[in-house]
Amino acid sequence: MSASPLALILEGRKRPGRELLAEWVRTRRLSNSWAAIALVVGFAAMLGVQQVIEPGTMRLLSAVFMFVALAQAWNLIGGFTGYASFGQVAFFGLGAYITAVLMNNSHLTFWLAMPAAIAGGVLFAVLIGLPLLRLRGHYFAIATLGAAEGSREVINNMTPVTGGGLGITIPTFGDQAPTPYFGKPGFYLAFLILAALSVAVSALLARSRFGYAMVAVHEDEAAAGAVGINTTSVKVIAFAVSGAIVACAGSIYAFQQIEFYPSDVFDPSFTVLMVIMVVIGGSGSILGPLVGAVGLELLSQFLRINLGSYNQLIFGAIIVVVVVFFPQGVVNFFRDAWRLRRISLLDNIRRYRL
Amino acid sequence: MLEIEKLNAGYGRVQVLWDVDLAVEAKQIVALVGANGAGKTTLLRAISGMIAVRSGGVKFRDRDIAGASIESIVDLGIAHVPEGRRLFSGLTVRENLVLGGWRRNNRDLSRVVALFPVLGQRLNQVASTLSGGEQQMCAIARGLMSEPSLLLIDELSLGLAPIMVDEIVGRLPEIAASGTAVLLVEQDIDTALTVSETAYVLETGRITRSGSSRELLADATIQAAYLGLESQ
Repeated sequence: MSASPLALILEGRKRPGRELLAEWVRTRRLSNSWAAIALVVGFAAMLGVQQVIEPGTMRLLSAVFMFVALAQAWNLIGGFTGYASFGQVAFFGLGAYITAVLMNNSHLTFWLAMPAAIAGGVLFAVLIGLPLLRLRGHYFAIATLGAAEGSREVINNMTPVTGGGLGITIPTFGDQAPTPYFGKPGFYLAFLILAALSVAVSALLARSRFGYAMVAVHEDEAAAGAVGINTTSVKVIAFAVSGAIVACAGSIYAFQQIEFYPSDVFDPSFTVLMVIMVVIGGSGSILGPLVGAVGLELLSQFLRINLGSYNQLIFGAIIVVVVVFFPQGVVNFFRDAWRLRRISLLDNIRRYRL
Repeated sequence: MLEIEKLNAGYGRVQVLWDVDLAVEAKQIVALVGANGAGKTTLLRAISGMIAVRSGGVKFRDRDIAGASIESIVDLGIAHVPEGRRLFSGLTVRENLVLGGWRRNNRDLSRVVALFPVLGQRLNQVASTLSGGEQQMCAIARGLMSEPSLLLIDELSLGLAPIMVDEIVGRLPEIAASGTAVLLVEQDIDTALTVSETAYVLETGRITRSGSSRELLADATIQAAYLGLESQ
């Protein structure tokens, strides 16, 4: 194994950049030090951007950051581990409701409610993961979809606690507020930190011994078992980390929204967006969900602002076109193109046709 | 090292193995031969913990491993090279090997690359693009990455060119001598009985013959039943 590129630069750059790049393409990943630098630079850049933009733009970018976290979370279970969950929104809604109930009914501060939401997400992931992760493929997808729909109905019917269909409000003004409202700059920061943490957690997991185990389960679960990987615990842990990130996003989102209904935070379109962002960006990588989430959320907002009532139609059409041309995801397409020194959309469609 | 006594095992309500006795000594190559459906694969799966044992004893290095989890059996030093190889086909050879050493966090490829030098040239190649023989080498190497003292190999020659079979089988004595005993399941009786010291014949779930491989190979009934040679 070679020394880290950072060390090579420090000792006078013994290897030319092209060689480093070639090594990255061969091993298909950045070294840990480069990845850490990229993350810190990205984080700092977004802090800088915050100083020069309007509050409205801040709100837009907050949504982008939230989807980065959601896409990274979905990628852990759906991309790396290969269990396509269509119910991750359950963790979002659960996190939102745990936060709102604790802040509204128990007057706990957000700083206690958010960890409770994360813990709730982990607990729920273990509880439904143990039975559901025995299913595969379509069956797992349908079962998770059912679990999400079911949990929305439970929240909907727990009226004394959650307010049911009448919605719930987090007190944010005056003495009633357990934690002062963050405002647009505060939520920008909160979602930015969440996005950075989710990228860091995903990258660390992917590069660890555990990352190999997730990919092994994805590739061939029986063979993974044969080399001594406890596949059940790998799947449940990946599901739980994913659930924790999504629940945390739901928690911040709830505080940002102040008032919401079960149908808002259990909206299946959150799950669909997570899946689409990962698939279009490139699943099973760190960059893929990042690119997918940023690209699609910015595109969706742009279309909404500029195209009026046709925006959803155009958005859908663009998704279809991108999936047809880049079935393996945009990031993986360019990686392949670089490796083969050849960019051809037609070749790509032939290679990955379904 | 491995001692199996009166082992009964099967799937659901179907019992496949009946009172099987088998032993493997350290650094030995033992062949397990028999026709299709005799229960050879089932016996390997019972040893490595992939299916439950109904009754009987499976002792490995004086520890009872009947009913133990696959992980703990890998930890104790048994590696299973499954039928059909079951490589992680989308991953590179290197990643496959590292996954073989996953339990012990063993990333040292030098031993297996010395054993199968061609793998050293293929480390960054995706496993599904290897030839059949190279895939079998990769599967055996993946098994060896967990530093086992017993390697179970299921259907080594399946779908391989004879020259490749010779090449891989030729490595088995080296593997055994370096401290990893081999229990080889093989339909090619001639190959299996030539490379092994001891052999067991499994017929419809029962061990019907066992003993020195050389003697079994010379035995007229074995020749008639499995090698298609007329007894004289």
